[in-house]
Amino acid sequence: MSKLETVGLTKSFSGLVAVKDVSFHMDEGEILGIIGPNGAGKTTFIHLVSGILMPTSGSITFKGRDITYAPAHVRSRIGIARTYQLIHPLENLKVIENVMVGAVFSKDKSLKAARKSAEAICAELELDGLNRDTTQLSILEIKKMEIARALANEPEVLFLDEVMAGLNSDETKQVIATVQRIARERKMAVGVVEHVMGVIRELTERVIVLEAGELIAEGPYETVSKDPRVVEAYLGGAA
Amino acid sequence: MKLKGSYIAVVAAAAIVIAFPAFLGAYPLNVARSVMTYMALAISWDMLLRSGQISFGIAGLFGLGSYASALAVLRGGMNPFASVLFAAAFAALVAFALGFAILRLRAMYFSITTLALMEIFRIVMQNLHDFSGGPEGVVLPKIIFDGYSPALYWLCLGGLFLTIGVSWYFEKSKMHLALTAIRNDETSARSNGVNIFKYLLIAFVATSALQGMMGAIQVQSYGFTTPDTAFDANFLMLPMAMALLGGIHSTIGPMAGAVLLGIASEWLKLKIPYGHLVVYGVIIILVILFMPQGLFGLARKAMRNRRKAGANNE
Ligand SMILES: Nc1ncnc2c1ncn2[C@@H]1O[C@H](COP(=O)(O)OP(=O)(O)OP(=O)(O)O)[C@@H](O)[C@H]1O
Ligand SMILES: [Mg+2]
Repeated sequence: MSKLETVGLTKSFSGLVAVKDVSFHMDEGEILGIIGPNGAGKTTFIHLVSGILMPTSGSITFKGRDITYAPAHVRSRIGIARTYQLIHPLENLKVIENVMVGAVFSKDKSLKAARKSAEAICAELELDGLNRDTTQLSILEIKKMEIARALANEPEVLFLDEVMAGLNSDETKQVIATVQRIARERKMAVGVVEHVMGVIRELTERVIVLEAGELIAEGPYETVSKDPRVVEAYLGGAA
Repeated sequence: MKLKGSYIAVVAAAAIVIAFPAFLGAYPLNVARSVMTYMALAISWDMLLRSGQISFGIAGLFGLGSYASALAVLRGGMNPFASVLFAAAFAALVAFALGFAILRLRAMYFSITTLALMEIFRIVMQNLHDFSGGPEGVVLPKIIFDGYSPALYWLCLGGLFLTIGVSWYFEKSKMHLALTAIRNDETSARSNGVNIFKYLLIAFVATSALQGMMGAIQVQSYGFTTPDTAFDANFLMLPMAMALLGGIHSTIGPMAGAVLLGIASEWLKLKIPYGHLVVYGVIIILVILFMPQGLFGLARKAMRNRRKAGANNE
């Protein structure tokens, strides 16, 4: 069943069309790869769906509800969470508190209950030293903390925007595999933006390809990667 | 164990300050009231600052509370105690209405707007001759408690305790997470469910109510006010300097800063009656430049270093 759907989603920045007429859907429990060359509009697309940016035109529905112009905090409360390509730690909060924010404000949990669920999520991601300041964390730990915070929102749809940029592909795979396992348990849909094709091939069931803001191909990675348009636009350019 | 220790310390400290009138005469009690008023303002300024919003409007809400209370008694025949609550509610209501407009602003735009509002309140009071008494201000028929100084002291202490209590609640509840998240990274806060406007509005309304309440207590204790006294820049500069000196983003920092600077300011007022504001300005600048974490920040850092050194020696 389709959880999240966009129709003709478009965003232009004073002339530059970053996302152009994108219609897509995400189903319950699926792991979707979102790929495309640099500047293709992947991050902008996630900003639109999560409410960080408002679209120029088009519509977004979540579980049948029109959320095209809903504010970001409302979307996170109803079940759409995300991480950022550039890290966004809350540096005056401890690691555990960073993670608790998601549970307290999206799920209206008490501080005590939020702490408990935050601890459980961090344990699954193998993140410890939860009473540290965020300035003491390695880049891998910050990324894990931000994934944990997104998971603490208990979303039904989660977007990971190049969570692992700057890490090696083993670390990347390990972290995304953990998220995938959690996703299965919770029947959560996950959209993964990633430049490392090995990760996309191994972990995703379906892929959409963006190029210059347009959705140019869709399907299992094996099929999409042979699509001539994709080869030309993306793989061709990279090779 | 540790929690119990600090609990006992807090109760003991509260008992001592409650008992002050047993040892102190009218003059020191007066000084204490002034320090407590500034302390409450410093704490309330800091409470909003925890969200990253720097208000220059505290003297405005303090003055507004003073006038609301004085005029409620004078023109409305309200009981003086009730007028203190009325002033707090009035300041809260004004903050609530203004909040919808100004809490969309950030950084310097918010600060300057709050400063302008304070000036507007003052000018309005100065020009509503028939209602507010104009530049000459208002004189109340009598001072609350007939000016009995221990009672005035306890009233002011009550206002301070309430302020500390609300600030403590801000530190220990989810307000702490909300305000800190907003201060650190609004994008991150929003995408984790924080309704930024709601929490800014709560903080702005709550702190404005406290500031209005302290203004009301002040006017009822002195029995008169004028636009220049009620909206005195002292009520802005001194609390800011206190919070910065002691250490911002906490309850204890502004309290420590208020004790230090509050006592120093009584002395400064006598020594340089017209220049003491300059001294607070200089303190604000020096602290921001060289000690942005304040005295408590320094102490915390020193303690952490000591602990680290200890751990390395093991
Ligand atoms: N706020 C903005 N204002 C103007 N242009 C923008 C803005 N944000 C993004 N763009 C432009 O929109 C296009 C799409 O950018 P976006 O960041 O979405 O790409 P991306 O697919 O995430 O790229 P990458 O793989 O490098 O992260 C780019 O040309 C970018 O320069
Ligand atoms: Mg991107």
